[in-house]
Amino acid sequence: MKTDLQQLIGNTLRWGVTIACLIAAIGGALYLWRHGAEPMPDYTHFAYNDPTCHPAEYTTLEGIWQGVLSGTARSWIQLGVIALILTPIMRVVLSLVGFLHEHDRLYATLTAIVLAVIISNSWNIE
Amino acid sequence: MTTVLVFTLILLVGAYAAGLLGSLTGLGGGVVVIPLLTLCFGVDFHYAVGAALVASIATSSGSGSAYVKEGITNIRLGMFLEIATTIGAVAGAMVAVYLNNNMIAVIYGLVLILTGVMQFVKKQDHIGERGSEMARRLRLYGSWPQKDGTWQSYELRNVAGGFGIMGIAGMLSGILGIGSGVLKVIAMDNMMKVPFKVSTTTSNFMMGVTACASAVVYIQRGNITPGIACPVMIGVLLGALTGARLLKRLDVRVLRRVFAVAVLAVAANMIYMGVTGKF
Repeated sequence: MKTDLQQLIGNTLRWGVTIACLIAAIGGALYLWRHGAEPMPDYTHFAYNDPTCHPAEYTTLEGIWQGVLSGTARSWIQLGVIALILTPIMRVVLSLVGFLHEHDRLYATLTAIVLAVIISNSWNIE
Repeated sequence: MTTVLVFTLILLVGAYAAGLLGSLTGLGGGVVVIPLLTLCFGVDFHYAVGAALVASIATSSGSGSAYVKEGITNIRLGMFLEIATTIGAVAGAMVAVYLNNNMIAVIYGLVLILTGVMQFVKKQDHIGERGSEMARRLRLYGSWPQKDGTWQSYELRNVAGGFGIMGIAGMLSGILGIGSGVLKVIAMDNMMKVPFKVSTTTSNFMMGVTACASAVVYIQRGNITPGIACPVMIGVLLGALTGARLLKRLDVRVLRRVFAVAVLAVAANMIYMGVTGKF
């Protein structure tokens, strides 16, 4: 793979994690400012069928986006998590571009399959 | 009574230590995050797994930015094996719904035992190894830079076996949120005969991509909760960055041994509590 593309991948990873951390830090600071003195939430029990375990403000893309716009701390943190998840996915996309550029059909196909598996699993389960 | 502030600060420090240890020992941040949350704070495993997933992606991307430049990572090999790990991760995320805390604890404990034991097995460079026809056709052979500036080429074999183990590694990642680094090393180092340096960085590259395959599902299910994800993400990342810097100067052989023993002790505890239904 070409050096400039490797450089680009390296930079993408560095910027990806930096941006993700900054967004999460903004959310975290807001969260502590507003809720820091409250007793910690009950994390001892989780149930898939309990709606209090997955409020829309951090489990759906729509809910997260609305929360971000209205300044909800938890939604900001979750936006940071999404930015973190997108970072390795960007790396796969850039590798695909690299293989296509080298006319490496076999590996362009294999990379496309990996990307398809990730995207198909991420698209609306509910 | 623990307030949100205290919990967040303790978790931030704990996650920093997890990232530091994970990067010095090459095990990734997720391995330490799970016992920290479940054993120290009594957090439900389903939240701990979500946090481990976030830690795995943070470690992979954080240390990955340093590795790509040096040209050690075998992207072809990683991408080929990613097909097995991502499909495995999707299957694992499906299975996870049917597992209760005690079952997850036992599975995690067994992976930890394997991890601890493998720390004592010597890693090799496999120079001069004859590769297989299949690996040659898939163009998986490569080379990596030496200290003196020359490139050492290598061949590899047993592609099918490695691919199969990677499927299991992916499935465990989908269930536990960890990078399953130990299975990746067994597949690449022991079966495919990939040189140690190449297998470490390639495994790190794969860890982030595999975790992404199940991460969105975990967000939708509510396993990744902001109050835990935020300190874990920031702490692990900073710890991994410190670790990557220290790694160049420190001799970590003793640390790895001590850590392996600690890992075995935690594993025994996890399995005992899981089998007796304490979670």
